[in-house]
Amino acid sequence: MPMKITNEPKDTTIIITLDGELDASSSVLLDEELSDPEIMKYSKILVDCKNLHYISSAGLGVFISHLQRFEDAQIKLIFFNMQEKVRNVFEILGLDLLMTIVSNYEEAITVSNE
Amino acid sequence: MSLQKLSTVFRFMLYKTNAKSLLITTAIVSWALLLATVLFSAESARQAGVARVALPYVNNLLIIAFITATFLHQRLSADNLKGIDFIGYLWNLFSKAGVAAYLSVALYLSYRMVTGYANLQSPLLLHLVYLINFGLLVIFLAKAFYIWRQLLLYHKNKFLQIAWNWFELLLFGTLLLTLFNFDYTSYVFLPLLALLGFYILFLCTNLKWVAYLTFNNKSRSLVLLGAILLSCYIFARFFHQLANSRELIIDFTDVAFLPLAMVFVGAYTLAAFLVSLFSLPTSSVFEQKSEDLLNFQRLSQSIQQGQSEVQVYDMLFDSTIKAADASAAWFEQMRNSEPQVTHLLHIGSEQIQRIRHLLLAYNIHNIDYINNNLDRNPGFRELQLPWKSLIILPIKSKKNLFGVLYLLKDIEQGFDRETVNVLRTFTSQTILTIENLRLVKESLQNERYKEELKIATQVQESLIPKTFPVDSWFEISTHAVAAKEVGGDFYDFLQLSESRIAIIIGDVSGKGISAAFHMAQMKGIFHGLMQQDMPPSEFMKQANSALSRCLEKTSFITSSLYIIDYRMKGFVFARAGHCHTLYYNAMMDEVFYFQTEGLGLGIIRDKSYNNHVREMYYDYNPGDVMVIYTDGIVEGRSPANEEYGEDRLLYMLTQTYHLDAEDIKYAIINDLQDFTGPDNLYDDQTLLVIKFKTIQPNS
Repeated sequence: MPMKITNEPKDTTIIITLDGELDASSSVLLDEELSDPEIMKYSKILVDCKNLHYISSAGLGVFISHLQRFEDAQIKLIFFNMQEKVRNVFEILGLDLLMTIVSNYEEAITVSNE
Repeated sequence: MSLQKLSTVFRFMLYKTNAKSLLITTAIVSWALLLATVLFSAESARQAGVARVALPYVNNLLIIAFITATFLHQRLSADNLKGIDFIGYLWNLFSKAGVAAYLSVALYLSYRMVTGYANLQSPLLLHLVYLINFGLLVIFLAKAFYIWRQLLLYHKNKFLQIAWNWFELLLFGTLLLTLFNFDYTSYVFLPLLALLGFYILFLCTNLKWVAYLTFNNKSRSLVLLGAILLSCYIFARFFHQLANSRELIIDFTDVAFLPLAMVFVGAYTLAAFLVSLFSLPTSSVFEQKSEDLLNFQRLSQSIQQGQSEVQVYDMLFDSTIKAADASAAWFEQMRNSEPQVTHLLHIGSEQIQRIRHLLLAYNIHNIDYINNNLDRNPGFRELQLPWKSLIILPIKSKKNLFGVLYLLKDIEQGFDRETVNVLRTFTSQTILTIENLRLVKESLQNERYKEELKIATQVQESLIPKTFPVDSWFEISTHAVAAKEVGGDFYDFLQLSESRIAIIIGDVSGKGISAAFHMAQMKGIFHGLMQQDMPPSEFMKQANSALSRCLEKTSFITSSLYIIDYRMKGFVFARAGHCHTLYYNAMMDEVFYFQTEGLGLGIIRDKSYNNHVREMYYDYNPGDVMVIYTDGIVEGRSPANEEYGEDRLLYMLTQTYHLDAEDIKYAIINDLQDFTGPDNLYDDQTLLVIKFKTIQPNS
């Protein structure tokens, strides 16, 4: 299944929607999306994982490589609507302690405004 | 060649030689007999004073015998002529038969001189000369007839072959008229003569061989054809003059075969002469085309001949200059996307610089461009170049620009459509050749990479331990497969002391060569750090710090380290983002995953990592089973794209914990393969099953 990445800017927030499987080839697309200098204009990045069915180590690597940069720029990175299976991958790797993962959009908005 | 075949060929040659000598003998004998009878009748006629008391039937028979023998002999000889050396044919004809005419002229003139000088009439001498000339004529005709046949049938088709066979048959048929002493000039035979006339005209149109003569060859053939034509004329004139002569008792013009053969030979010679003459101006075009064709062929064959790109460009440069008849040219080859002039013709590098600057200013470099009137353009006029036309031909495929070819001519309208088409064909053929050459090179390179990858696989295999220390207090069984030639999974062990062993498992993110390198690095770190014997959490902290300096940004490593102390009957372990350890506790009779926290290595690259790794100590009981694995196991996919999952793995252990470590491993692997189906390996799979034993006699 090919990956579909869409973004929806809203004021200081940008919502990135991941649709499909984030494997070695599609993670290149995600890297391009996150490397875009435009993205540094926003203070909150919300990642909608509702239709993210699988994430490979390459996909995780992309988030990890940008993590420090966003933290330094005080940009909040929040994942929401994550499927159990995918969340498990984040948890095993210990990423749930580094990244903010919440159950739904409303919660994401609340957390981002804290 | 078999002996039998050899003997057949030999017999055939013998037969042919025999036939030839028989024919020559027949010809000589019949001519000598003819001479004898003619001289005898001439002498008797002179003495008797009665004109023409010849023996027509005997003479005619001898004439036919002579003609037939001579023609058949030439027919056999002409078969030896092969190949396309047409000038050789013509020379053969002229040197061996054409000169006969000049000989006959010389003979007749000397006869005239002798008789004129001595002022006497000698009918016998006249008859001798007449008969010798007859002999020469027949030889000339026979030779010419069959050499023309070879040329006429060049590039023949079936129809032409049949037409020729009938013509030959018809012509020889006219000998019958002579045999029965009919007068062929009577009206009865007019249709036959007309038919033969048209036949000859038709045959004279078959002159394909002329087209294959080059300009030089055509000039030479014109000379030879002229000489042969003159021979025809001499013979015709000689026999025509002496026709119906009262001094002669025999007249060879009465033999229908001879004038007909003469008409054919003469007409064909004339036709060949005229066609050669008129095609002379166009022959250079034909030559150019055939040379172009040859060059195309050479270009397309250069791959098979293993030529280099440089040689292909050499060929392109020479061929296009010839094809366009360019006065000056240069070729720029792209090297590291910088143009470099590699070929030059009649142009200085200073002129090239000026033209390039101008083209750059017009923004028309590296594109298809034709200017057939440079003087009309003010920019070019200013440069005061000695050329009037310019064409630029880039050698480029969709992806690459290989080079640019510039051709210049000193006339206006130098590059007409026809020439440009030929040039474009040359360049596209060159592009094809260059691309193919590169493909061949690339595939060789790939072959080499494959070889190197094979070595990498072997090296990596040697990094993974094949055997664990066999001990009485625990069993260990391992399984490891890589999805690609080299993988990112690894495991290793180190005996720390007599009663303690360290076991590590890990998974490098990504696959392929870079993962394999990191895996080797991890192995080095493991052996380096564990020499100092440190607790697992400390190991993870130091490993993270070591890896932070060399791992690329998007890479990370997950790992678990276990130190088992069988004297203490316990183990301590730390997990760095690696899959949870599956465990069977024999005392509680329960199967579970150790739920410990721990962040993967290389994710946080500073001291704060230290807060993210935990250590756990656990006492084991005899009969406990520990299953250590990588995500390739739990993320194995079924054809329906379902994951194998932790739950199924756990269930498998509840069913098999009572077995030996080896059997537990096989049970899990078999179940996994049933689940994923055959040949469905996406990720490296590593599985270690450790069973703590009941009996420990050593301790």
